[in-house]
Amino acid sequence: MQQTQTGKVKFSRIKGRLHAWFSKPANIILLVFLIALTVLTLYPLLSLLMETFTVHMGKEARAAKLPVGAFTWYHFQRVFATRDNNYSWIQFYKPLLNTLAVSVTSSVIAILFGGMVAFLVTRTNLKYKKFVSAVFTFPYIMPSWTLALFWETFFKNVNIGLKTSNGIMASVFGVYMPEWFVYGYFPIALVLGLHYAPFAYILIGGILRNMDANLEEAATILRTPRWRIIWRITLPIVKPAMLSTFLLVFASSMSAYSVPVFLGSPVRYYVLSTTMKELMNTYKGQAYIIVGVMILFGVAILMLNQKVTNSRKQFTTVTGKSGQISKIDLKRANAPIAIILVIILLLVAVVPLVTFALESLIIKAGDYSLGNMTLDFWVGTGLDKRLDQGDSTGILLNPKVWKALGYSLGLAVTCSVIAGTSGILVGYGVAKRRGSRLANWVSSLSFFPYLMPSLAFGAIYLAMSSNITWLHGFLLLALVGSVKYLPFASRSGVNAMLQLSGEIEEAALITGVPWWKRMLRVIFPIQKSSFLSGYLLPMVSCMRELSLFVLIVPTSNTILTTMLMQYSEKGWAQFGNAINLLIIVVVLLVNFTVNKLTGASIDKGVGG
Amino acid sequence: MKKFLALLMAACMLLSAVPALADVADTVAAAADLTHDELVEKALAETGTFVVAGTTSRITTAAEAFAELYGIEINSTNLKDLEIYTKLESESIDMVMIQDGAQLLDAIDAGIVINYVPASVKADVSEEDQYPLAHQFTNKLFIYNNLGDDVPAIHNVWELTDPSMKERIIFKSPTGEQVNMNFLIMLTSEKWSKKLEEAYKAWKGEDIDLGDYPTAGHKWIAEFLPNCQFGKSDTNIAEEISQETAAGKIGLFVLSKLRSSSVLSDNLTPAQYAASAEGYTVEPFSGFMYPIYAMVSANANRPYTAMLFIEYVMTAEGFAPWGKSIGAYSGNSAIPEKEGDLPLSVWKDTLVEEDPEYILDNFEVEDFVRQYLQ
Repeated sequence: MQQTQTGKVKFSRIKGRLHAWFSKPANIILLVFLIALTVLTLYPLLSLLMETFTVHMGKEARAAKLPVGAFTWYHFQRVFATRDNNYSWIQFYKPLLNTLAVSVTSSVIAILFGGMVAFLVTRTNLKYKKFVSAVFTFPYIMPSWTLALFWETFFKNVNIGLKTSNGIMASVFGVYMPEWFVYGYFPIALVLGLHYAPFAYILIGGILRNMDANLEEAATILRTPRWRIIWRITLPIVKPAMLSTFLLVFASSMSAYSVPVFLGSPVRYYVLSTTMKELMNTYKGQAYIIVGVMILFGVAILMLNQKVTNSRKQFTTVTGKSGQISKIDLKRANAPIAIILVIILLLVAVVPLVTFALESLIIKAGDYSLGNMTLDFWVGTGLDKRLDQGDSTGILLNPKVWKALGYSLGLAVTCSVIAGTSGILVGYGVAKRRGSRLANWVSSLSFFPYLMPSLAFGAIYLAMSSNITWLHGFLLLALVGSVKYLPFASRSGVNAMLQLSGEIEEAALITGVPWWKRMLRVIFPIQKSSFLSGYLLPMVSCMRELSLFVLIVPTSNTILTTMLMQYSEKGWAQFGNAINLLIIVVVLLVNFTVNKLTGASIDKGVGG
Repeated sequence: MKKFLALLMAACMLLSAVPALADVADTVAAAADLTHDELVEKALAETGTFVVAGTTSRITTAAEAFAELYGIEINSTNLKDLEIYTKLESESIDMVMIQDGAQLLDAIDAGIVINYVPASVKADVSEEDQYPLAHQFTNKLFIYNNLGDDVPAIHNVWELTDPSMKERIIFKSPTGEQVNMNFLIMLTSEKWSKKLEEAYKAWKGEDIDLGDYPTAGHKWIAEFLPNCQFGKSDTNIAEEISQETAAGKIGLFVLSKLRSSSVLSDNLTPAQYAASAEGYTVEPFSGFMYPIYAMVSANANRPYTAMLFIEYVMTAEGFAPWGKSIGAYSGNSAIPEKEGDLPLSVWKDTLVEEDPEYILDNFEVEDFVRQYLQ
């Protein structure tokens, strides 16, 4: 009798606790996201693991001498330990070394360049700051292959690569660059470094802008030399941001595909992503192993990053008392530095656009005279009869292009709404339950999709969708896009929520305002621009995304980027260049409009 | 109860609809002897958008003309060979035009695509081209830039292995397009190795020393590939080699690219054209040739329309988008080659053709090839 009563008491206590637990919206949100993210990220990972032990149709079954679907170690043996014809060295070890070299170098370039510009903009009296600040995020907004394509078109010449034709630099200026400068390790690392430098600019710049000036001022009063202040005070403070940048750029560079294809293939410089793409078509099992290796590297760096940031000495960098940050007077160096920076930015952000416009006008490659130019590739008709190449109309008159643009925009908006809203909710949950195990899990899980190479992420979802009949077309694309871009949104969501003091919501809570109303009426308006930035970044990324969607985009509805890839592969360069320009203009317009209307911007999205 | 019954009936209807989709193979087998009119009648009775996908970009033009002729809503896409199989696994496509016979045989065996030879054109398609049905043949030829003093007008393919040809040959990477790999695998066959041995003797005046290479084909591959540069696409290679600044270069690419407006085709000469005009032969081959096959997809929603479209592209009218320029040869022998081009019979004698069975049995040559792509 007593036992039953104790049992009842225990039960009602548990019930009470559960009730209390579930009455907090943050808990429900975290639980829902824990389940959803486990299904959406760990399930693909598990199916990836299974694929590495499974025999697939075609050559794989023949080579493994096993029936399709059988269990096998064959793929592992091939990737890691096949000496015949140097197979493992060619397919795995050499590309791995190249990948590591490129990823580390691009991370260093991004940190140095982005960090330096961030320092110049926030801590000095540099001229043309507004321009630098506005244009610096351009390379990130543009598709990554943009710069690669431009690099090749601009610098190629008859002494290097295919050794057949001259680009603009050689034919117009008579300057012939050496091969190492145009193709292979150096340009791949540089282009990726420049493309991801905005990460460094935003993350490091954010800290430099908000840091307590008293630390530096104290050192100045003690007559510490300027270089020593930077070395002993400024650098240690920005170290965590530098490490975060390293993680982001390393993971992104590792899975970059189009840049190594454009700048590596002509000189037979291969990286893991290019090998993986090639294997994905013929030896799927081996391709998935390579994906696994790439993910492992990402996770390792993520863990290292967490270890370093957790063990670092705690600096209180943002205080209420800090006065004006002292700005270094660049004196006579100001104008030269500013001019050099503006020139670099023009080269990286503006000249490529001009080049694309030019390349979309010329008929025969390499001839930039007026007589060889036409607007046909934009607004021409009957082109299949006249030019015998590509589509029958220019891109602006081609209904397929408009349909693809509509589909791309629809997809981008959908992904941004789902990812952005999820990001805010995750941010709310994590901030409210800060430090709890549940919050940590959800926070880590929501970052995980970032470490999965886009191409592989798409491939895994494709494999999954073949077993789920309703998961096709737009729904599949939207789901994949939303999950993949969630890290951006959840990051900005968490940061925005952490900045909010709990009291703000408590006031509303006491007066009995329901949760959704508190979110809509209190929290959202305060952090509006940060939240909207969390929507903007997935949208911009989605508009210019190729690798993620290339395998899963339905044949009946292409998006602009896959269309561009098809044109490029067919060698219809002018149509390709015109579409590329169209994508960039649309993305810049979206970014600009959202920025002007709401104050949201990419830098707030990344930096929080 | 009524609701339950309605649900049960709906479920039964759904289930009964599944076998109908799965039986495309039976439908195609039963339609083997259908006349054109019968095919039209059955195709027009089908509903939904007709979806075609192909490795050739001109499938779109053909599909649009077909749609207009029969008043059918159509959707056509241009995809790469291996992408098509990935798409077939996840999407409903009615008909495909695809290259790489070896992979295709595997796909037919796996029941992913179904072979269909229209009764109305059967008599005009040679027996060896009926399974799988070859819609057309495409040739990739040695084509050189004819400017300057050092024109690589080759008479023997062993000339391409000479150190003086280093970085003067442009090809598309064999790992980027399987037909290129198939061509290299074919060279290791008995037939082509023997021909290469003879050609070597004709070139050097002495018997070939194979060293560690198993065949003359292996030796040629090992000495040819290091001299090559790899272009992005055949159009890109054609454009690059046709430049005035590209004198002394030679490529191995699709002949039909000479039609492209961005290519300076006057600067290019196919080695076989020169050989035929001047009465010599390029020993032992002047390039290679592969079929593009027309297949019904096993997950077709409109199998009869797919068969009607295959019949259509096998006629002169349906072949027009390809036949209007050089470098495309119909599998239907009644359709002649484009004026000014050499007939298919000449190409069959002078080019390396795919043997899907041999390629499937010797796919490990790919590993051998890969080491020379580094």
